[in-house]
Amino acid sequence: MRTWYFSEMAYHPAWDRGLARGSLRVNFPSENLDPVEAGTLLNRYLDEFALCDEVGLDIMVNEHHSTATCMTVSVPMALSIIARETKKARLLSLGNPIANRPDPVRVAEEMAWLDCLSGGRIEMGLVKGAPYEIAPANSNPGRLMRRYWEAHDLIIKALSTTTGPFSWEGEFFQYRAVNIWPRPIQQPTPPIWMTGMSVETGTLAAERGHVVGTLLSGGLAKPMFQAYRKRARELGWEAGPDRMAYAAIIGVGNTREEGLRRADTIADYVRTAPVVFEPFTNPPGYNSVGANVAMLKAGPRAHRMVTDRNGVPIDHRTATVQQFMDTETVFAGTPDDVFNQLKAFNERMGGVGHLLFFGQGGQMNHQDAKANISLFGKEVAPRLLELGMPEQVAAE
Amino acid sequence: MGRHVTVSGVHLEIEEKGQGRPILFLHPGEGLQAGRAWFDRLADNHRVIAPHHPGFGGSVLPDWMGTVDDLAYLYLDLAAELKLDNAVLAGACFGGWVAAEMAVRNTNRFAGLLLTAPFGIKVGGVLDRDIIDMHAISRAEFMRRAWADPTKGEIDYTRLADTELAGIARGRETLAVFGWKPYMHNPRLKRWLHRIDIPTHLIWGEQDGIVSTAYGEAWKSDIPNATMETIPNAGHYPHWEQPDGFASRTLAFTARL
Repeated sequence: MRTWYFSEMAYHPAWDRGLARGSLRVNFPSENLDPVEAGTLLNRYLDEFALCDEVGLDIMVNEHHSTATCMTVSVPMALSIIARETKKARLLSLGNPIANRPDPVRVAEEMAWLDCLSGGRIEMGLVKGAPYEIAPANSNPGRLMRRYWEAHDLIIKALSTTTGPFSWEGEFFQYRAVNIWPRPIQQPTPPIWMTGMSVETGTLAAERGHVVGTLLSGGLAKPMFQAYRKRARELGWEAGPDRMAYAAIIGVGNTREEGLRRADTIADYVRTAPVVFEPFTNPPGYNSVGANVAMLKAGPRAHRMVTDRNGVPIDHRTATVQQFMDTETVFAGTPDDVFNQLKAFNERMGGVGHLLFFGQGGQMNHQDAKANISLFGKEVAPRLLELGMPEQVAAE
Repeated sequence: MGRHVTVSGVHLEIEEKGQGRPILFLHPGEGLQAGRAWFDRLADNHRVIAPHHPGFGGSVLPDWMGTVDDLAYLYLDLAAELKLDNAVLAGACFGGWVAAEMAVRNTNRFAGLLLTAPFGIKVGGVLDRDIIDMHAISRAEFMRRAWADPTKGEIDYTRLADTELAGIARGRETLAVFGWKPYMHNPRLKRWLHRIDIPTHLIWGEQDGIVSTAYGEAWKSDIPNATMETIPNAGHYPHWEQPDGFASRTLAFTARL
């Protein structure tokens, strides 16, 4: 299991005001942000990313828009700084919300440029994006995944074509001369990742051999990973742990209490991030017809919960650290505790090759954030590298 | 359940009732809702032909179809297929936009155009919202804006059958496919409204909080000789909220054609 550190570079000073208004995203006015303080925080967060390289961790960056929960508006912009400040870490973009991007060729150009800049350290996530990203992008949620797949195919063709230009006359995108310069070091493309929460995503990712990642719910991850392995087997290959990724909050400390305290601080992100004005949570077409039928039947006041290992529903907005640990949203304690929890998790999931280490939610001070990264990098990550496919799954 | 026809390769479910001058009625973004009283009231004096838009009800949205232009040509083909003559072309809300796009193209089969609180044109400046962003307000606010009496519009979704809920979910996605961007309008349609060469009447609910009567006045001024009247105690769906008043005004319009 490799470890990729990430943080959303949150603007946490505005969270209380966002919570009081009932929305931290889309319709939360930016007068609630002090741009000078934003700059201080961005520099601090980038220092925390840079530290990862020193302690042997890989790095992941994501992006969101119009939100106090994440100030990263452009993955390639952040990664270009991090690429210059690091030497060894692989750099994962997870990712470009390509169904919301008007210009997929630009995405391919940026990824190729970053791959050259970083000496071939880029991994490229092509993601659907969260439902509340639709409004800031004014992207049509109808037929979203058709647009996603066309952009996906075009980006891969643009990155892997060395004898261009070629033309593209598709349903959503039209170009007459695609011929990107520079081209990526990693041929035909940097490794490709997808994200999702459904069995269908697991199956579709397996058909392309992409890494598939999900976040914060073991209950949702397991069926998706199983679907991936099943589909791969049907297609004649074995999907190892290196095809599966999982994002979780991790708090590690010299004592169990210190680790739990750090996890609790980071978990404030998860308690805050889902608070969004209702119309932006389910734009029409974003979710399947079946999922919408279930939501209509549940009624307007129902809030989607995740379930813990015993099937007990947990509300992320109010969960305790222990409840988060029961949903596999959080792993916390001493380095030994965290290693043992992740080892057991790896077995339950049937082998997860990539841990996306959510190690800074925003509220954590710089000292704690650095200590969390350093301790994990030195004491936990090297042992995780030895975890592979659990015997039980390998024998299936 | 309506009857099923295939027009230009598109599978449509059509509700039809009544005798008299045909009305081809194009429904709002919230669906056809033929179970409400408006349908029977109109059918008292007319042959009402009301297709579910592709993607709504039992009508299928083909992959290749995705613009209001497509719907306009589809329904012009439907009118030809049904051999409509001297009919009334009617549309409400989103359906009004479709009807207007048809009317700027070809009015041969129609004697009159009846638009009820139509979407479709851009009137104000870049910072003005002519049409409320229905996808950026709560369902409760939408109901308050769309109905003079929101209790008349309430639907208890938890009591509907799965097939009906699936139709609603598909319809909502379909409305996004056709009208998300630019939002519920065609920036160039206003320029072509002068081509409408049949008597045109606009009906507006006095409490419409989705598109204002001032927006209706802009339609009226750009369609030659158009007339407009408002219905009291009605919001964005006067045909649903005041079915008798809507039917009598429709009859008064069709009687003068």
